Amino acid sequence: MQKDVALRKLQAEFPDAVLDTISFRGEETVVIKPEAILPVCRFLASDPALAFDFLTDICGVDYPPREKRFEVVYHLYSMKRNKRFRLKTAVAATEPIASVASVWKGAGWFEREVYDMFGLTFTGHNDLRRILTWDGYEGHPLRKDFPVRGADFDRYEVPAVPTDAYSQMPASLSDPVSEGGGAEREMTLNMGPQHPATHGVLRLVLKLDGEVIREAVPYLGHLHRGVEKLAEQLTYTQGITLTDRLDYTAGICNNLAYCLAVEKLMDIQVPKRAQYIRVMLAELQRIAAHLLWLGTHALDLGAMTVLFYCFREREEVLDILEQVTGARLTPSFLRIGGVAADLPEGIQARIAGFLDAFAGHLAEYETLLSKNIIWLKRTKDVGVITRKEAINWGLAGPVIRGSGIEWDIRKAFPYSSYDEFTFAIPTGEQGDVYDRYLVRLEEMRQSARIIRQAVRKLQKGEVRTRDPRVTPPTKQEAGTEIHALIRHFKHFAEGLTPPRGEVYSSVENPKGELGWYLVSDGTNRPYRYRIHTPSFVNAAALPSMIKGHLVADVVAVIGSIDIVLGEIDR
Amino acid sequence: MELVYFLIESIVKVVVVFGVLMGAVAYLTLAERKILGRIQVRYGPTRVGPFGLFQPIADGIKAFFKEDLVPAKAHKALFVAAPMISITAAISLFAVIPFGAVIEFFGRKISLVIADLDIGLLYVFAVASLGEYGVVLGGWSGYNKYGLMGALRAAAQMISYEIALALSVMGVLMISGTLNLVEIVQQQAGGHWNAFYHFQFFPFIFYLICALAEINRTPFDMPEAEAELACGFNIEYSSMKFALFFMAEYAHLIAVCAIATTLFLGGWDGPFHLPPTLSWIWFVAKTGVLVYVFIWQRGTFPRLRYDQIMRFGWKFLLPLTLANIFVTGLIMVVRGQ
Repeated sequence: MQKDVALRKLQAEFPDAVLDTISFRGEETVVIKPEAILPVCRFLASDPALAFDFLTDICGVDYPPREKRFEVVYHLYSMKRNKRFRLKTAVAATEPIASVASVWKGAGWFEREVYDMFGLTFTGHNDLRRILTWDGYEGHPLRKDFPVRGADFDRYEVPAVPTDAYSQMPASLSDPVSEGGGAEREMTLNMGPQHPATHGVLRLVLKLDGEVIREAVPYLGHLHRGVEKLAEQLTYTQGITLTDRLDYTAGICNNLAYCLAVEKLMDIQVPKRAQYIRVMLAELQRIAAHLLWLGTHALDLGAMTVLFYCFREREEVLDILEQVTGARLTPSFLRIGGVAADLPEGIQARIAGFLDAFAGHLAEYETLLSKNIIWLKRTKDVGVITRKEAINWGLAGPVIRGSGIEWDIRKAFPYSSYDEFTFAIPTGEQGDVYDRYLVRLEEMRQSARIIRQAVRKLQKGEVRTRDPRVTPPTKQEAGTEIHALIRHFKHFAEGLTPPRGEVYSSVENPKGELGWYLVSDGTNRPYRYRIHTPSFVNAAALPSMIKGHLVADVVAVIGSIDIVLGEIDR
Repeated sequence: MELVYFLIESIVKVVVVFGVLMGAVAYLTLAERKILGRIQVRYGPTRVGPFGLFQPIADGIKAFFKEDLVPAKAHKALFVAAPMISITAAISLFAVIPFGAVIEFFGRKISLVIADLDIGLLYVFAVASLGEYGVVLGGWSGYNKYGLMGALRAAAQMISYEIALALSVMGVLMISGTLNLVEIVQQQAGGHWNAFYHFQFFPFIFYLICALAEINRTPFDMPEAEAELACGFNIEYSSMKFALFFMAEYAHLIAVCAIATTLFLGGWDGPFHLPPTLSWIWFVAKTGVLVYVFIWQRGTFPRLRYDQIMRFGWKFLLPLTLANIFVTGLIMVVRGQ
């Protein structure tokens, strides 16, 4: 295979730093020395021929037997060349590693998460605090020696926290001297985790001057369930059920992202019919998720009626999904290698009926909001994030498209036969709340378009691959042939066993790029089950979007980036 | 003897007005939920009684029996007083609103207004702004930052819109030349409504906008703003104190509509003549229509932002209402009044 230009340039530029190169399933990985990480990243990001201007993800992996037991993995992406690239470096627990937050702003939160989960320290990071667990938490959950059973822990006592601790800024950020007017003018307001407009359990600490926001600090982790750790104890198939609970407004899309990652890891082809069913369901789910967003976003800005209109349509989508998958919120319907069951009879007509009515309903929302002067006043020029900033933050989905970047995984890396569908990628211009609103509205239209095509394309056929590595034998086979019976037992007792290797695979979720970085050690459980979630990166940019705005704009911006805490906290 | 009759008459009027008003407030909550329900493709209350008709009673009982909490760090006296101020001010407004023509009862002329004050309009503005103290104090005394912000917004909004509100009725004042509400209505008799006959239609709209801000309803519900301030000024209130704020809001809503009817829409005067004993029907109908409009727009508009409301009040409404005084003067000169 021909070497990527990035690899060649890197080897030419830093001959000593590159330790190893790995190629697996078409993905390039380069292992470099930890000391070189900052110059290498700077070079990759700034070199015009490479232009890795977009940081997708940073995560850690723990290999206890090794001397340098931790790996830090950087997933880079070049907008211009539509290329992915993976950097890895191995460090010991006590060895500090240079922060790349100066290269990509989005790295800040990822590094905090690595610090929190693995205990690695990053030098040059301006705000290295725990992010998903709380200050004073003991241990680092994603280390392999972290106990996973309750009996392995000591009894937990709630520490006596001073009552005012909840209304303080973190010490590293409070700087009353430099502010004009001094601390007397300011008020610290604790917004959330129980607040009607933070869309879940997001907690924001706001430093206010009157109603103007001088500083905003998000606190995460109120919904942290340790999904990445949990999945390491489950088989690959069991891992599907955890995905429903990430972005709980888009269960099927999450299923799809995970199944695609495992399929890539095992190199499995999915039958066409299953691919179309997946697309159809994922787009229906996207409409449902966007409807929920529109309703709550409008409600946050005081337009109460829109919520009920949206729920009317969402109800119909959920009914359709229920008829297909048997569940409304947590379908877990997709299987590795296909889908769990074929479509029920008559569902195509029902979907077509819904789509016909839906076009009219969308127009209804537009008349209520799009030209409404109050709506315009509340959303225009609020929470602006420029094109350049959006890339530097590594934003995802409608948020980055609202800033005018035509980037959609469905087009950039077509999966599940998306390249056979015609649809447009709507983009904004300003990157304000209104643009993101328009982008999502148009996305619903495009989704409807895709669903129509998918319904038309559906042909008779298998809905699950016959690959014996992932699909159990049919009941007929298992009942008549001994080798099939053995395979049946092995499948359900042991699960699937992918080969050693690591893949990153992502899909375009309603909220943006949802990706899985799976590391397999050749056993039946994932060695690392890293989830890159769009809400996490979008929330990281939240403080910079609301700085200098008013309190009322906070809810507008939060609504416009459409975060779901289930996937931020995982 | 005359004094005794006067006392009896006043007490009967007070009891009737108060009773009807409280009933109207209770059923306005139901009406709002029903109307909003119709707008929002849902039903509204249907469970308690036929068509949910006993819902307000159930709500009242529920509010009454809820635990009444006072935050530990609250300013207790003001915290308790705030909802009382609100409700007292809102109800007191009805003392000067004429709701019907003069009727004869056993040879005694009885005007359908509790207090026929010469400075009725002045009284209305004075008492209406008192009600805002309830909101400001309630938000401040609860020792809650959201409440405090709600209170601050209420204070700022009160000052901004009070001025425009008063200016918007200045045209009516110039035309009628009196502050007495009964006289203002009488001058409009026979269809000479201020809003149309005297070209006060735009001031009428300005009045409605300012009134919306005055009673803190969407799109001007800044002190409450449930999305960002999580209910704002009444965040720490529970039980009957909370209910009092709500009753005050609805009573105030009826009051501003009743005043609009009186000043701009001819009060109890109607398209065709009703006997004096039934003249209140016109008054109630017109007030009801305005109340409906207020509920309707709540189902339509998003909420404005605090600074936008301030800008709108000072830079848009204030100059326009000022200009209206000039325009009204011109009209009066042209008409030779």
